[in-house]
Amino acid sequence: MIISDSAKKQIDIWIEKYPQGKQSSAVMEALKLVQAENDNQLTSEAIQAVADYLDMPGIAAAEVATFYENYNHKPVGKHIIRFCHNISCMLNGADDLITHLETKLGVKTGEVTKDGLISVKKVECLGACVGAPMFQIDDQYYEHLTADKIDDIVDGLK
Amino acid sequence: MASITIEIDGNIVNAKAGERLITITDREGISVPRFCYHKKLSVSTSCRMCLVDIEGVTKPQTACSTPVSDGMKIHTQNEKAKASQKAVMEFLLINHPLDCPICDQGGECELQDVAVEYGSDVSRFSEGKRVVAPSDIGPLIQTDMTRCIHCTRCVRFGSEIAGIMEMGGTGRGEDLKIEPFLAEGITSELSGNMIDVCPVGALTSKPFRYELRSWQMASADSVARHDLVGSNLYAQTYKGLVKRVVSGDNELVNETWISDRDRFSYEGLAHENRLLLPQIKVEGQWKEVEWNVALDFAIKGLNKNALNSRKAHKLGGLASSTATTEEFYLMQKMLREIGCENIDYRLNVNNLDDPIHLDSNIKLSDLECVDNVLVIGANLRLEQPMINLRLRKAQLAGASVSALNVKAFDYNHKTNHSTVSPNEIATILAGALKVILEKNSLEAPSYITNINPSELSINLADKLLDSERSVIVLGEHVINNTQAASIAQMVAEIAKQVNGKTLNLTSSANTLGAQYAHFLPKSKGMNTNEMLAADMSAFLLLDIYPEYDFHHSNSAVEALSKDDVFVVSLNSFNNELVAQYSDVLLPMAAMYETSGSHVNINHDMQSFAAAVKAPEEAKPAWKILKVIADLLELPGFHYENVTQVSEELKHQKIYEHKQDITIDLGKKSSAIETIWMHSAYHSDALLRHAKSLSSSKIGQTNSASMNTATAKELSLECGNTYLGVPVVVSDTVADRCVFVSSNQSTDMGRES
Ligand code: SF4
Ligand code: FES
Repeated sequence: MIISDSAKKQIDIWIEKYPQGKQSSAVMEALKLVQAENDNQLTSEAIQAVADYLDMPGIAAAEVATFYENYNHKPVGKHIIRFCHNISCMLNGADDLITHLETKLGVKTGEVTKDGLISVKKVECLGACVGAPMFQIDDQYYEHLTADKIDDIVDGLK
Repeated sequence: MASITIEIDGNIVNAKAGERLITITDREGISVPRFCYHKKLSVSTSCRMCLVDIEGVTKPQTACSTPVSDGMKIHTQNEKAKASQKAVMEFLLINHPLDCPICDQGGECELQDVAVEYGSDVSRFSEGKRVVAPSDIGPLIQTDMTRCIHCTRCVRFGSEIAGIMEMGGTGRGEDLKIEPFLAEGITSELSGNMIDVCPVGALTSKPFRYELRSWQMASADSVARHDLVGSNLYAQTYKGLVKRVVSGDNELVNETWISDRDRFSYEGLAHENRLLLPQIKVEGQWKEVEWNVALDFAIKGLNKNALNSRKAHKLGGLASSTATTEEFYLMQKMLREIGCENIDYRLNVNNLDDPIHLDSNIKLSDLECVDNVLVIGANLRLEQPMINLRLRKAQLAGASVSALNVKAFDYNHKTNHSTVSPNEIATILAGALKVILEKNSLEAPSYITNINPSELSINLADKLLDSERSVIVLGEHVINNTQAASIAQMVAEIAKQVNGKTLNLTSSANTLGAQYAHFLPKSKGMNTNEMLAADMSAFLLLDIYPEYDFHHSNSAVEALSKDDVFVVSLNSFNNELVAQYSDVLLPMAAMYETSGSHVNINHDMQSFAAAVKAPEEAKPAWKILKVIADLLELPGFHYENVTQVSEELKHQKIYEHKQDITIDLGKKSSAIETIWMHSAYHSDALLRHAKSLSSSKIGQTNSASMNTATAKELSLECGNTYLGVPVVVSDTVADRCVFVSSNQSTDMGRES
């Protein structure tokens, strides 16, 4: 069972918020809930299950699931570092910092460290240009990054 | 909408307020480049290629999405417009592989055309281009997604027209990919239209891959004959072979779409089973001979077995419903001239004593304007894709659709399915009719006085009474219903009572043509089933394959194989069975190889000319029939071309056996009901020989569906076969019923 009864209950709450027949509007929350109970990852089957539950085409749910960075399609680490590489961050040296982070962790973006603790993703603008370069770890933003600052933050992850 | 005037490139143009600019420029013949805009799809404004300059608006605007207002001044060619269009072109080409020399779209590519006009010969982009791995989406469509410009026409076609969203855009930005989900392949019965709408070479025809350039081919207008719609299309030919089929435009018939069935059936023309040379059977051995020898042999046989001995009443003429109207006409004219009235095209009907009579009195284009649809016995999506497309539009516009079917078929629009056994249909309709008559304060005829309308009947009746424009669609599954004639009669009566229309889909291909040509037994003639049961001495057959075509396939083969029966077969394909019972095989031209006409459900007689010559010695059947008539020295066959035949039959009225039927609701069978349908891509000979269609998902359908209880009663389970067809247990099938959709021959199957 990919969607648990408790997840279904929560999805139903979201469905309630939209007009009748527009249940597919709940897709983002539904994907999030289903991802949370499946090792923080969305397989094709999970996406299809969400689509079926919301009575929408599988591909339409897949469009949403692949558009946003907060859905994972491969196994991820306990913590996810989402590194912005869009224009403000890029101009402020994000590319070099990403390389620095990759070398430090011994993984490429999109991969998970061997101990399964950290995965690194390159993401589009997170809306914190004023603090560029920046990344997000789980639910927390870290701004004005430098190589040293990154080392400190990452070393502190457990 | 109010009339307004606007100015385009300095010219005053009339328009309606709120019209989109691109519709006006298209109407006026002003060229505005575009990729994502398609007149039959929603506006997505995603390519930005149609930018134009509007006075008073700082930034260039997209013509496809901008509504016009009075006095608007538009420039499509000034510097600002041109510069914007060029900029967009450059942007679109950044990731495009520019592999035109190896791309099938080359020469008919919208991107190529626009690039020639707006592109630059040198690219300023020196970074790496993205590459998208192609995905295998089935045997009909080839994908080369690196070429995709993300216009989303194919995506919109799927969700808006085909009714199943199969393609979608996954990922974003640089990673955006147009692809189907779960690599399941495309299953739509209309999928080929995505090839037509794709403005670049991302989606091309797989069977046509690397065959030819579009400019090498000649293009002939033609009409599809696989169903009652008669979609308009172009057969593209090269050196005497049909190489590809693309859709034609006709708002009244197929708009601009065609079904995959119509698009890919041409592949069958080149099948190795084509009958290419005339052959005669001498002492049980087949001999390939010249035409005159074969015809001589045929005439002698016919004379000996049927004519000289005044036994024309022992001669039978049967034709496939895919014949052209002219073929039907000449064949019946010839047979009647020699005194033979045994003429029929209805091969798959169990009971021809009480045939179905129901007019189709609604135009195809009006189908999308109905507000209530009742479908009885049809899997519309697969059986009548073009009609379903219109009904789907009606549903999306608010019409309510109800279906009485043996199985809850997968419709691509919202339908209230009622799964009912075939032998309940008559009673349900009688109940509905009773309710309607009562509401109209009319007396109910005796056969319904004892009926107690069920909830379903009341519900259907209420919907019909509430609507202003209903249509009742009678589908093919009803043909062999024991109460078929009563059902048809009640449908007509109900429609009359509620001022609705009826659509009779119980026969297909060119059966209306056959009726116009009077290809039916009159007065003393025998119908198909009577012929098969009678002691016949000769048959003249037009493109018949008994193992697929007859309801009584076994008795048909038996009747044709009798020692003293002389069989002349005009066929486009050869096979063992045909060779077994025939005495002469005359190779005939297939679709696209013959001229003639098709009568569609609008009663429009659509003529078409042969796109190619028939291969080797095969000849158009109308010519073969004419020559046989000449050799029999019959008067009135001095035709020089097929148009003269069409002219002659044009004035004929449709011929039907109208007979009063007594509605008898008691006539029910208690046995398990089986509805046998050929799967959508096996309904006629050409389709059965079209390889890519056969290997597609729909073509592979071969199942006998029944619910758990029925399976138990028959002691069957998944993995077994029923009448030779693999069993599928599905609780969407009505109790004590089996729905067979098969791509194999009827075998002994339909004998029940
Ligand atoms: S595949 Fe063709 S039709 Fe579909 S989005 Fe790409 S370019 Fe447009
Ligand atoms: S045609 Fe107008 S934006 Fe694509």
